[in-house]
Amino acid sequence: MTRETLARLILGGLLAGALGLSLAAYGLARRDVIEIHGRMAEAGGWTPAALDATVGQPLRLRLVADDVVHGFAVGQMDWPAINLLPGRPVETMLTFDRPGRYTFYCTRWCGLGHWRMRGVIEVAGPGAAAAPAGPPLYVQLGLDLDAPRPASAAPLPEGRPSASRGAALAVEVPELGEPRGESPAAVWQALRAQAANESFDDAELWEAVAWLWRSQTTPAALAEGERLYAANCAACHGEAGAGDGVFAPELAHPAEHTQMGAGHQTQAPTAFTDPAGMLGVSPAVLHGKLIRGGMGTGMPAWGPVFTDAQAWALIDYLWTFQFDYAASP
Amino acid sequence: MTPAALSRSRALGWAAWLAAAILILALPWPAFARTPADRVIRVEGRRFEYAPGTVAVNMGDRVTLELVATDVVHGLHLDGYNLTLTAEPGQTARLTFVADRPGTFRFRCSTTCGPLHPFMIGQLTVGTNDFFWRAAGLIGLAALAAVWGLRR
Repeated sequence: MTRETLARLILGGLLAGALGLSLAAYGLARRDVIEIHGRMAEAGGWTPAALDATVGQPLRLRLVADDVVHGFAVGQMDWPAINLLPGRPVETMLTFDRPGRYTFYCTRWCGLGHWRMRGVIEVAGPGAAAAPAGPPLYVQLGLDLDAPRPASAAPLPEGRPSASRGAALAVEVPELGEPRGESPAAVWQALRAQAANESFDDAELWEAVAWLWRSQTTPAALAEGERLYAANCAACHGEAGAGDGVFAPELAHPAEHTQMGAGHQTQAPTAFTDPAGMLGVSPAVLHGKLIRGGMGTGMPAWGPVFTDAQAWALIDYLWTFQFDYAASP
Repeated sequence: MTPAALSRSRALGWAAWLAAAILILALPWPAFARTPADRVIRVEGRRFEYAPGTVAVNMGDRVTLELVATDVVHGLHLDGYNLTLTAEPGQTARLTFVADRPGTFRFRCSTTCGPLHPFMIGQLTVGTNDFFWRAAGLIGLAALAAVWGLRR
């Protein structure tokens, strides 16, 4: 072996070693990064859609949007949502304090099947699982969510009754059970049944109902509900709650589905501005439909996504389509 | 008619054609005299088109563009005016501007919305296309003048 060959070998070996070492270090540093691709639900949704994690161990994710704008968030956690723009991968790190089954979901509307874009993170480890605060209210009250609830028992109000005018009326309020278990129409009838309320006409009693409804919520909850409504509900139920969102025509004619594909049972989204449909329904029923989903109507189940406070804030906001909560009439 | 008188009337004729041409080029256009109005224009964006795809306004109008996304997140960037809107399904985006620059401008989707995203293009026309109509007038005039010139 000549000295030249030896020199070439040493030089080549050093170069290969330097390259290999840096590649190995890079691979070692990134071996626990999980790459998740987000696509429209029709094209596969999240891949992978099931992750495993351990309590206290950071879960490192690299999120990539493959087709359109998506968002990433973990349900029932107050971590900020991550916007995913195509061509701009985002790396993030999640650390869970409690074991349990967490849902991650898309936060930006990416077609009619947007809400189907969900995945699951199974977190194992010591500690008590995040226990639910008991069964939801509709279960506690034993309500059948799908029974028809006409508001015809009470004469419907004209326009939106003003809560501020109702507050000034000094209406005699009878003892009510669970306030969120009663429909506005039932409360109206209870008010009408009071002998002391005989001097008030029907419209004034509706204003009193509006006032009772407003007194169960706070401006902060309404603002939160408005934000959640715009981001999650308005695409189908309409920006003004009239059931005329951009996806409503397609939901109303499931046979002509172009975005979701045939075979999906859907119906026209509920109009929250319709008093006949809304005033016979209690907040507990609305809450139940929200967290359980519509079962064959196209309404997603939001239970794994919203915290209890968020779900109730959203329900509180829905009543502003019926009642005028403005401070001055 | 004597040859001298003939050539004089011919020169007069050409002068008249020239005057007409200058009139066509320089005459103030009635569109500029129109009073500005407030306009609300609703543009629906879906993959991969705008509806309506062409929008026309008059010079000086206060234009409110409403962008409604009907499937995924779409954007709208208006060339020339350098304005950008982004709308999510269920959240209409609005933007008001004064159309003070005449001409024809492209608007393009500014948020990646799928494979044909680069072809999601619309057009905004501000004012009448003055240049086109004046050019058309000149061409018509030239054709008439040519016929007139050949007649003798």
